[in-house]
Amino acid sequence: MSFLNRNPSWAPALALALSLASGAAVADVVPVVSAKSPVYALSKNEVIDIFLGKLNRFPDGEPAVPIDQAEGTEIRDDFYMEYANRSPAQIKAYWSKIVFTGEGQPPREVSPSERVKKVLADHPNFIGYIERSEVDSKVKIVVLTK
Amino acid sequence: MKREMLGLACATLVLSNAAYAQSEQSGGPIFSFDGFGTLGLAHSSEDKADFLANDLQGTGAGRGHSWSPDVDSRLGVQFSAQFTQQFSAVLQVVSEQRYDKSYRPQVEWGNVKYAFTPDLSVRVGRIVTPSFLESDTRKVGYAQPWVRPPVEVYGLVPLTNSDGVDLNYRLRLGAASHNLQVAYGSSSAEVPENGGTVSAKDAWLIADTMEYGAMTLHAAYSQSKFSLDQFAPLFNGYRQFAANPAVQAYAPQAAAQADALADRYDPDDTPITFFSIGASYDPGDWFVMAEWGQTDTRSVFGKRQAWYATGGYRLGKFTPYITYAEADLKSPQSDPGVTALPGGAPFAVLNADAASLNAALNEQLAGAPIQKTISVGVRWDFARNVAFKLQYDYSRLGKNSPGTLDHQLPGFVPGGSYSVVSAIFDFVF
Repeated sequence: MSFLNRNPSWAPALALALSLASGAAVADVVPVVSAKSPVYALSKNEVIDIFLGKLNRFPDGEPAVPIDQAEGTEIRDDFYMEYANRSPAQIKAYWSKIVFTGEGQPPREVSPSERVKKVLADHPNFIGYIERSEVDSKVKIVVLTK
Repeated sequence: MKREMLGLACATLVLSNAAYAQSEQSGGPIFSFDGFGTLGLAHSSEDKADFLANDLQGTGAGRGHSWSPDVDSRLGVQFSAQFTQQFSAVLQVVSEQRYDKSYRPQVEWGNVKYAFTPDLSVRVGRIVTPSFLESDTRKVGYAQPWVRPPVEVYGLVPLTNSDGVDLNYRLRLGAASHNLQVAYGSSSAEVPENGGTVSAKDAWLIADTMEYGAMTLHAAYSQSKFSLDQFAPLFNGYRQFAANPAVQAYAPQAAAQADALADRYDPDDTPITFFSIGASYDPGDWFVMAEWGQTDTRSVFGKRQAWYATGGYRLGKFTPYITYAEADLKSPQSDPGVTALPGGAPFAVLNADAASLNAALNEQLAGAPIQKTISVGVRWDFARNVAFKLQYDYSRLGKNSPGTLDHQLPGFVPGGSYSVVSAIFDFVF
């Protein structure tokens, strides 16, 4: 049946639509630290607690400093949706609460991913996030534990 | 809009850039500048009284304006400074409608904080009073699901800050984190319609906020000495009545009654207690929240209770929500007043005096808010840092009660029902 082998022009669009419909993340965002960092693994909750300012130390007791991508970037929205199940507006509302109680400030913003990698490389206690495909020798992916 | 609000807005824009430049530097003190605001319109179906977001507002929707911008609109700016790891300061200035209908900016918070350890800190200055779950962001509409916190419950404590000192202690017990607060201070505010001042002196407060995953629990207890000038003429009237030589000579029982009524009901350094508990659960896609509170004072204010429950579901940029709220009075809504006067022509004038004093007292007792409200609304996060909210409230008033409505005109009929429609923009910057 030769027509089954044909690749119709609408196939990629359909695949994308299906993946969106099923809620699967299009981008593969991973938390990263400096290649020199002793941090190896964190739980998903620990990662998000660090980014939401609820946790300021890595499990080994070293200070943990989160680095956000710029507000409005797709990677940032994907990161919070995947790790915190929160929309950009919910994250903004969350920080409004913290900021207007004088309890803290949101993480410093660094973008794009190339700059994130540079900043992380120089600061072993920083943690950021980039796309999996952008990982290079300067940084390492934080293994997610259950 | 109002000139004062614009002034604050201009100062804001200039400072915004300066503060940002400074915060980019690393090392040394860190300064930050943030702002929030709400622009809104509210319409009430009851035009013989004002619907207010709180009792301290000079005008509202209904009697004041058919569509009132003054119920919810406000602008706030906040400067924070982290001088060292231990030492920080915060200044929050808010422009919103006040008792005299002006928008003169007020210092909402202005305090310095010293952290002995990352978990134990002390603050001195003007500090938020953590009466409720949402007290910290009571004025930051963007951080809340509704157009405004339910007036039944949040109206129990219209004073939002206190001048004094507080101690904060963070405690991790397993996966739960507690924030314990002990505060001492005093606060006061001007009351609309020449009502003088309302104040809470020698105010002690203890509160705990527990977070456990998506769950937050809050409990607070406070006691203070409560004064409200507004009623001084009424109770001075009773005292003068009691001091009247004719009353003392011919109706000593009535004199004793009048004195006792003044002592019983005048809020003049009268002890008041406040207690609240609340819970919220917000796993991300939906949320539920409920709070209960009570103020109790042996005065014309009586014992008031209120609670609400609210829930919402997030559908992309839209968050529809529904709220049910009740306010109730747990002390008598009326008092017989001075009754021990003899009848007959010689006492006609005194009886008339007593009757008018009794009527005024009962009007105040009946003025306590008793109402049940159902609200439906939707929040639309249509742009970055801005949310649009539309809300409809339907309230039924308790028997003889004006509910939370205020500034009643002659002809206002208590005990009925009213509805409010509100449309607002909340923003942060």
